[in-house]
Order: sequence, then structure tokens, then C-alpha cells
Amino acid sequence: MRPSRREFVKWLSAGGISVSLSHLASATGVPFAAHETLPGRGKFNPATKGAGRVDGVAKVTGAKLYASDFRANDLPGWPQTTSHAILVRANDAAHVYTGLDLGRLGGALKPSVVVTAADLDRIGTQVPEFYAGDLFCPPGKTPLYLGQPVALLIFEKFDAFDQARLALRDGTFVQFGEETGPVVVPDYGAFRFTRVAGPSPDKPDVYSPLQAGWVSPKKVQSAALPVWSPLAKEMPADYAKAAKHGEQIRAELAADDASMLVLDREFETQSVDPMFLEPECGLAWYDGKGGNLELLLGVQSPYEAAESIAHLFGKARAPYKPAHINAQFAHVGGGFGGRDHTPFILYVALAAVCFPGKPVRLAHDRYQQFQGGIKRHAIKMRSRIGIDRATGKIKAFAADHVLDGGGLAHFSASVAVVAATGAIGIYDIPKVDVRTVAVHSRGVSAGSMRGYGILQAMTALEVLIDEAASELKRDPIEFRRRNALPQNGRTMTGNPYIVSVRTPEILDKLEKHPIWQQRAQFRQTSSDRLVGTGVACVTKDYGSGADGSLGRVELAPDGRIVIYCDHVEMGNGIGTALANRVAGHLGAVADEVSVARVDSYDVLGLVTSGDPSSIDQKTQDAAERNPRWVPAISSPTSSSIGAHVGTHSAAEAARVIFRFGLWPAALELWRIPRTDPRARQWASASWQNGQLTMPGLEMAGLEPLALPVLAATAHARGFVTGAVAHSFSRWAWSRARFPLLGEQYRADIDALAIRKGKGKFERINRASVKFPPTDNNRIGTAYTSMCGTVVRVEIERATGALRIAKAYSVFECGTALVPEVVMGQAQGGFAMGVGYALLETLPPFEGGPGNGEWNLGRYLVARGSDLPLRDLEIEMLKPQTADEAPKGMAEVVMIPIVPALINAIHDATGHRFRALPVTASLLKGVLA
Amino acid sequence: MISDARFKMIAVVAALAGSLSAGYAASESASPALASPESFAGISETEKRSAAIFTELGKVLTNPRCTNCHPAGDRPHQGDNPRLHQPPVSRGADGHGLEAMRCNSCHQKANFEPGRMPGHPDWHLAPREMAWEGKTIGEICEQIRDPARNGGRKVEDLIDHIGKDTLVGWAWKPGFGRSPAPGTQEQAGALVEAWVKTGAACPAP
Amino acid sequence: MTTLSLTINGQKHGPMDVRDDLSMNDFLREMLGMTGTKFGCGAAQCLSCAIIVDAPDGSSTTSPTCVAPAVSFDGKSIRTVEGHAQGGQLSVLQQAFINHFAFQCGYCTAGFLGEGQVLLERLARAPVPREALERTIADALDGHLCRCTGYIKYQEAMRDVILADSNRYLIAAK
Repeated sequence: MRPSRREFVKWLSAGGISVSLSHLASATGVPFAAHETLPGRGKFNPATKGAGRVDGVAKVTGAKLYASDFRANDLPGWPQTTSHAILVRANDAAHVYTGLDLGRLGGALKPSVVVTAADLDRIGTQVPEFYAGDLFCPPGKTPLYLGQPVALLIFEKFDAFDQARLALRDGTFVQFGEETGPVVVPDYGAFRFTRVAGPSPDKPDVYSPLQAGWVSPKKVQSAALPVWSPLAKEMPADYAKAAKHGEQIRAELAADDASMLVLDREFETQSVDPMFLEPECGLAWYDGKGGNLELLLGVQSPYEAAESIAHLFGKARAPYKPAHINAQFAHVGGGFGGRDHTPFILYVALAAVCFPGKPVRLAHDRYQQFQGGIKRHAIKMRSRIGIDRATGKIKAFAADHVLDGGGLAHFSASVAVVAATGAIGIYDIPKVDVRTVAVHSRGVSAGSMRGYGILQAMTALEVLIDEAASELKRDPIEFRRRNALPQNGRTMTGNPYIVSVRTPEILDKLEKHPIWQQRAQFRQTSSDRLVGTGVACVTKDYGSGADGSLGRVELAPDGRIVIYCDHVEMGNGIGTALANRVAGHLGAVADEVSVARVDSYDVLGLVTSGDPSSIDQKTQDAAERNPRWVPAISSPTSSSIGAHVGTHSAAEAARVIFRFGLWPAALELWRIPRTDPRARQWASASWQNGQLTMPGLEMAGLEPLALPVLAATAHARGFVTGAVAHSFSRWAWSRARFPLLGEQYRADIDALAIRKGKGKFERINRASVKFPPTDNNRIGTAYTSMCGTVVRVEIERATGALRIAKAYSVFECGTALVPEVVMGQAQGGFAMGVGYALLETLPPFEGGPGNGEWNLGRYLVARGSDLPLRDLEIEMLKPQTADEAPKGMAEVVMIPIVPALINAIHDATGHRFRALPVTASLLKGVLA
Repeated sequence: MISDARFKMIAVVAALAGSLSAGYAASESASPALASPESFAGISETEKRSAAIFTELGKVLTNPRCTNCHPAGDRPHQGDNPRLHQPPVSRGADGHGLEAMRCNSCHQKANFEPGRMPGHPDWHLAPREMAWEGKTIGEICEQIRDPARNGGRKVEDLIDHIGKDTLVGWAWKPGFGRSPAPGTQEQAGALVEAWVKTGAACPAP
Repeated sequence: MTTLSLTINGQKHGPMDVRDDLSMNDFLREMLGMTGTKFGCGAAQCLSCAIIVDAPDGSSTTSPTCVAPAVSFDGKSIRTVEGHAQGGQLSVLQQAFINHFAFQCGYCTAGFLGEGQVLLERLARAPVPREALERTIADALDGHLCRCTGYIKYQEAMRDVILADSNRYLIAAK
């Protein structure tokens, strides 16, 4: 039902290839893991005093950390020389690809190996379903999309590679024949989300996706766009039912009703590039003869990367089928979604397998990153909104979205769903009908990127809301408040959010802010410099509805803490967040944090099957009888889940260490017998200045205890000193019961192993488990965060140059694990939003990035001079309660500035832009 | 992509044709020619002939290779579809950039092809009074013969400046990804000379 | 091939033969394995590859390495991110970047550090008035792209370092 955010591939058994993400046995030199474990044993850790990130020192000293930093001679046990590969891509997708003319690569520049589609046939690779399509366009076919790879050229020595890439950069050696026009491919997914609320909020809905499931129209292969009519031939019954309600809503919006204001508007957003600063790269070494394939990668989805590579070679012929794949994962130089499920890694692995015995490096330069990297979806949206003029209440909303998915399906269907189910933003609308389709095009593939459809949908919506308020002559903030979804109100899929909904508070903050209060006095619409103010308030889901994490925490006898986590550090501060969250339980910041580690949890022996997003209840019930089964083992670090999910398992592991290690140690040291009622009061204990204390301690004549003393005792007495945990969330945590040291321990985890004293880790089989019901897959989202922005702009009439004079953003994120990182992300999100609204754009097809000629001179991202560096105020609301869980915020913070800018531009110029970006030359055009 | 054919790596066979220089050449679009001074001989009226010759020279002067660094403001442009220079730079006091970013921190003594970076030992912006961006050929003509706006030159000095100056000459050898100015520097110099000798008349503004 | 000798972080390298068309970025990263200097765009537009070039007169500038041939650095003395800390002691600016959480992914950090360090040294030689400080910092850093942070914390870290030693970096108010 729900388009999966991850393809299903069986772990550890893909075609008989064993997969590990462990580290090479280190003969000499520093193992890779030591580079990636920060800050390193005995090294200065800025995070211990809250004065920096655990990766702080490494990042200011230029330590080897990112995948792009490593060569073969940096890795113990690898051959010393690195070979280099060039991934050649098609710069035309309307003519037949006829082959490469490598004539210009003579003599020393001759590649050692050229890998093409024919070689894949010979090797017997199988493309993972997620990346369905030819890995290399074969000669005789028209490329599926601009930027589709056609060949890998591998050069043994750097000098040959360096000179060859220069010789090849004009792209003219990739040859084309007859014009065919673009390849036609069926759409990637079409969905209809319709909800008709009951007569009052306390009554059940008349119809909702939660009740009826998600529906899609019948696929019509011959039509470019879906046929949405419920009356069309062979339409599935569930679809027809939704569509009848939907068409009714549309008919009401179309009716001539003077009591309603109906606006019917279009909005178009553009394709953009995540433009993470470290271009994609990877290093791989295949020993040949069916042995080890070693990989060093930097992605947001390490688990998926290893699985996909195992799948790629699962049915390969000898000697091209590795017996074992060992993948290691580095810190990432920016991701923003663009490194979640990246096909790039497949080519890294292929390069190595096709040049056995030699470590091969494949690295994009920026032109290639623009040509081949995952993009944000351009979306065409048509929205109709109906508002009762008398009450100012929104009665109905209907929308149609068409997403340009580019060449590969990637996450297109998922992005379409998220954009559609989020299309009514912060509002409470009783009748909603959204139809969405993600289509293939010859553009560069679009997929996951920060904002994930919601950015586009919120921009269209908040600009529409602004226009509606203006038509109704209502104050824009009052109008929003009047229509805001209350805490327990239902979203358009029919479920309420299960987290705080703080829209009213945010709207109040925006309204009271001086930028908003002074908007009339600053407004100028007639001089050389136009001034206007705009506001927007949005909500963005976090979590994908099937998220897992793994965490391992070890406590040494001297109190040192080591944390392992499967989630990835891409700047999001997950390492520091983990350290802080674990410190909440163990009283001290970790000495070592190792992220993107998928190798440290073998003791759990986890197995999985099925797709967590579409599995049915009966199958899940049957599967869960195996105490080692979980719906999903590991998730990409994406959809803003770092704080909420990524740190959860490590935090729960730390909780176990506290409860069954440090707490019993404290009781011993305090000489409180197990029978004393105080022995059950672990929940009231707390850490103060690194000392464990509890109420009434001093009255009892007892001293607070320091972590090293407790750790030593726990080790000496054989209490729990280490724990490994797995967790899974489907809009609710899995919850299980474990027999632990004579107790039944319940927690929001579904797998656990512990270490006692200096012993080995041992799995504790769960006695029972409650996985979130599979019907939760009908929820659009249950987790959401809110953010609002008010902005004042100044526009020079003569040139169209826009300056952001002042801006204020306010958001909520539950408990901020590392407030400084959260603020930094909010500032960065604002900057990315400004770029999206005013600067960044990629032509979709010919002349766009698929031609391999794009770089940062043409593609403008926000610089310091584009931003109000000293005039941006950001407010993070305090958590509602002291124990409010962390909420994902990394995406929502980039969104409201976009519509707020468009609304401010309207206020200043009287022109309502309905497409992005609004560049200076477009502004100049409307001001002429 | 599974077939029964036996796997065999393809070694490159085509090692004959082509060379690095062929690669470069293919990447530069050919520059349109300039008409020679003689081709204007048919215009009998000297002043009109002179103006026509300048109009021909104007193909060079209004080419992005020239106007990009003769900008109207303080910031140069880049590329064949002139866009503002990235990263943002400003002419500074001497036309060689601000203290924090001088032209020669990127622009070396010569073009550096692997970085697609144009270069010359004296890379800098034309002074503000020599701005050509957005002007008609007639306006540029008036400007270029006005010593107050041409760096204090006599019109005769322009023959060598345009015909022989090596920074000006860069416009015909701009490196990968940039179209050269029309014709050759020599032809441009010949046009200037013919224009001067015919009285340095200007086309209508 | 041209013979290249240069000083990197106080240490002499060369003479060695390098190709004339080898970029300085590849010389550092591929030949010497000094990957602290990053590769971002290859076109001098993001400046994540910038290093410090120390002139004989004691002045310093930054230079992107991706668009310059290695041989153009012959005889020069440069500093890279690996050379800012001395004897295990972080520089004031490195410490300030950490304390301010100035970076996130950290890929642009080496470039910002080099640029910021050159600015500090320039201000020590030629202080500016307090009222010109914000503009001076903004102008100096504007060539550097950061996709994560929105630049504010870099700016604040610079400002704090300068204000903490204002006698050195600023012209005293009259």
C-alpha cells in the first residue's frame, strides 16, 4: 500500500553472499574505524563540557574523516596504489546512443578497462528493484534519462586518469545516432487521498484513508497521466469509492455559491540539487577469484548500500561473484537526502569487480555531481480552496500534483504521497481531495531531498492562504489561527498527530514579533525601493513510518563510555546528540562515539522479512514469533529521524545499563538492601554534576556517587556494563518484555543483548513483543513539527535586487538534544530556503544539469551576502514538558521562509509569483 | 542483465586517432570571422566607411570576452551568457580586487585548462569609466575615442592596445568552455587601424 | 614536467617533478595524501579547497588549489588546515569554530579556517574600526560556500575572536 522508503532485500543472504560491515583486521596502521570513532580514546572531547561537537577537533584539523579523504594506502592491509575510474554519462536522451569514441585516449591515456552494458550481461549483475533501469545504457537504445551512465573507464594510474578526464570533458566522445524522442515509461505511482469529515469533530469521518486504505486509479499504460474518474472502465472498487467522494468535493468547489470564496490557483516549483559540498565518491577493492569485496563509502543509508551491492552480485558468475562483501562507512560531507539510496555506490562496486586486485576510486567532480546526483522533484500543483465568507472557515480543498520524477523511480512515489498527505499544512479542513502522480521524464533522477515534497506543497499552500486572507480582507495570521488544526484534530488521512501541535503558540509569536507589528510603517510600494512583509506557518512530518535504529553502549570499569550507532553523521550532530542522550542515563558524555556502524550488533542475531511499509497484520503476527525477527533492521539517516529514532536505541541501551548496572551498584555502595522500598526508586534518582543522587539521600547520611565508582562496582559485581538494543517505529515504538536478572523488563525496544561485568554480550530473547499495528501504514504521518517565519524584504525597483532586511523564525522540536546544533540547522535551513525561493534552479531537460556542464557559477546557492546574517532571529520553543521526546526539525526549518518571501514580495510589489525561484531579473521584469 | 555470454573485459582498441589537443579543439566553438578593412572599400564616404569599420570592430567589443570585464558596475561577469562572477568579487581600489580576494588568487599567469580557469599576468577589471556593458556600439565608440574614458589614450594608441596587448589578446584564446572573440586579434587590430586612418568616425549611438 | 619545491606548514617538500597540468589540489590530495584541503567544485566557486600562501613580506593571502597548477606554487610557502594547530594546541580560531558549533558536516571548514586566519593576521597588521568589523568579516568570508550552517556561527566565531583581542585587531575608538 504505502510506497516503501526502502526496497526489500534480504540481509545476509543475498544470493549467498555474506555481508558484513566490520573492519579489516588491522596488521599495521590505523584501521578505518579508528578514524571514524570520535574524538578517539584519550583525546580532547569538546562535547564533555557542552562546548562543541564530538567531531569538532577532527573537523578543524583536517583529519581523514570523509570517504573522499581515503586512498588505498590509508587502509591497513590494502594494496598501496589506488586506481581511478570515470563514470561516463549520456548527455542526450532523445537520440539513440551508439557508443563511445575513445580515439582521443591514445598511448598512456588508454584506460585499463572499459565497462559497458555488455559486461554487465556477462557478469550477470541484477539491478536492485529500487534502481530499476539499465545501469548502463546499451548501444542501440535511447538513454532513459539525461545523465544515465553508459560506461566506466578505469585507469590504473592517477596520471593517466587525470589527463584522460581532461581529454574527455567536452562529452563529444559519447555518440548518438537517430533521433527517437525521449523514452516513454509508465508513471511511478498515482494516488488519491480523500477525506470527508463527520458532522462534528467528535464524530467519525464519513470517509478517510485511515478507514478505507490508500487508493490508486487503474494504471492506463497508454496515457501520460492517470484517468481519475471513478466511472472509468475497470476502476478498482476502493478507488471508485474514494473518487466519488473526491469528485463531490470538486463539484461543490465548482458550484456557483456566493457565500463561498473559491480560489483556483496553479503553482510550479523547480528542480534543484542538494549541493552537498562533498561530491559523491567511494573506494573499493575486489580480490578477485570469488573472494572479498571491500568497500569504503559515504552515504546516508549504509545498510541499504550494503544490501543493494549484495543484490547486484547475488547471481553473478564466477569469478565476478564475491563470497563476502565488507562495507565501511565514513562521515558524510553533507547529505540533505541526496545520499539516501544513491545509485552511485553500485558503480563503485562494479569498478572494483571489473578491475580485480586493484583498489579503485570513483569520485564525482562537481560537474558530474550535477549531472548524476539525485535532485529535488519539480512539482506542478493546482489547488482549489473554498472558504465560507461569513465565518472565514476553510470548507474544502482539492489539489492535483504532478511530480517530475526524472529518469529513475527512486523515492518518487513516496515523495508524491508525502506531498499529497501534507498538502493542507497546519489547517483543519473537513473535505479534502488530493490527486497525485509522479511521472518519469528524461530529466536527471529526482528522489529524496530535505523537505521531501512538503516544501513544495507548503509553498503553494501558504501563498494561496495569503491570497485568500487578502481576498477576504482578513488578517493573515488571524485567518491562519481560525483554521489551524487543534491538538487532537484529524489530519487528512484521518488520524490525529500523536505529538505536540503548537501552531497557535507559533502564530502568536509571529503576530507579536516587531517585524509583523511594524509591517505597515515599513511598507513602501511606490519609491525606488519597495518594502514588504510576509508570513507563513507550516508543518512537516518526520520519520518515514518504518524506521529502525541500532545502538550499543559500553561502560568501562573506569567510567569511560563508548557508543556505537548505525545512523550517519552528515553534519546533523548525531554523534553529539547520542553522547548527550546517553549522558542523561549514565551521567557523563561518551569518550568515543562511532557512527554509521552497522557491524556492532551481531549478538542480536536479527532477522527480517517482508516490507515494513506494506506487510499485513497476519504476516507480522506470524513473523514476530521468532524472537529475533524485527520489521526493519536499520534505516537511512533521513526524514529528520536522527534525534528521535537514531539516538533512541543507544539511549535505551544506556537505560538498561543504568537500571541493571549502575543502580544496583549504587544500592550496594549506599548499603540499601534490595528489600528497602528505596531500592525500587530508580526513577527518582538523578545525575547532578556527574554524581548520582536521589531525594532524601543526604538526610539518610549518604553521599552522591560518581560514575567511575559506580562503573567499577558494576564491573566488580558482574552487573550490567554494556547493552545492545534495536528499536522500530511505525508511528509508535515497538514494545517488548525481556526476562532480565529475575525481572520482567519492559521497554520501547524489540531486541536486547547485555554484557555483565567483563563478560561477553549475550542476547536476551524477548518474552513478548507488541509491534505497532500494520494498519498504521495508512497514516500519512503521526509525527510532525511546526515552524513559522515572518520576513521583511527590500526590493530595488531599477534592478529587481532583493535584500532580506529582517527575518524571524520560530519552531518547536520537543527536547533539543544539542541546542546549538539545532540552532545551527535552523540557520542553515533558512539559508537553503532562501536559495530555493530566490536563486536555485535547474532546467529539467536539455540545457540542464544532465549535460554535464553545470557548476556553481551557474547554479547559485545562498552565500553570506544573500542572507540577513545579523538580522535573522531564530527562536526554539522550549519543550512542552521536561520529558518531551525530541522531535525531528531539520526539514521543517527550511520551509516557511520560502512562502513567507513570496508573500513579502507580493506585499511590496503587488505581484503574486506562482513559480520558483523568484530571481532578480523576474522581479525587475514585473517592476518595469 | 544476465546472459550466457562469457564475461570478458573490453580493452580499449581505438588507440589510434585523436590526441589531447584534438579534445581541446573540439570543445571550443569556432569564432565567427571578422570582415577585413578592405571589404568596406565600397563605402565611398570616408566617415560612413569609418563608422562601418567600427561597427565591425564592435562585434569584438560587445563580445562577452570583452564586456565581462568592462562591466557597468563593480562586479565582473562570467561565461558566454554573461552572469555575475561567482564567487562575488569587486573591483577594489586598483581594479585587481578587494584585499580579501584579489583577481590573481585564482587567475594565474596563463589559462589553467584542468581548472577551466582563465589567466593572464595582469588579469584585472577595466576602470569604471571604460564600462561597455549594456552600451550600443555607437556609445562605446564615443567612449573609446574620449581620452577621459579610454585611459588617456590617443586613438592611434588603440591600434596597439587592441591589436597587440596580451590581456586583450586573451579574448581570442579564452580556454575551454568559453567562445573566443570573433576573428583574430590581428584582424581586430587592422580594423582599429583602418578606423583611425579613416578619421575614427562613430556610428550613430 | 617541472621541478617543484615548496614549504607546507613549515616543512620543505621537493624538489620533485610534477606534471604542468597537475592541479595543486590533486598534488596535495593525491600525491601527498594531505586531504584536509578539500575538493568541492573544481572551479574556485566554493573555496573549500583554499589554502594560505605566505608571502616573503610577511603578508598572507588565500588561494584556491583546484584551479591552480601545482607548479605555480614553486618556491612558495603555504599553510593548510593540517598546519593550524601547533604542538597539539588548537589555534584560537579553530577553538572558536568548535565552541561556536560553527560547522556541521565540516567539509567547508578548512576553507573558512584559512580565510579567517588570513583575516586575523591582516587585521593584526592593519586594524579596522569597530564599525567596519562586520562588513570586513562578511567580505572576507563571502567567497566561501557552506550548505549546512547559514554562515551565522562562522561569522560569530570570527567576531568573538576579534573582539576578545580588540586591541590587536581593531582601531581604538576615539
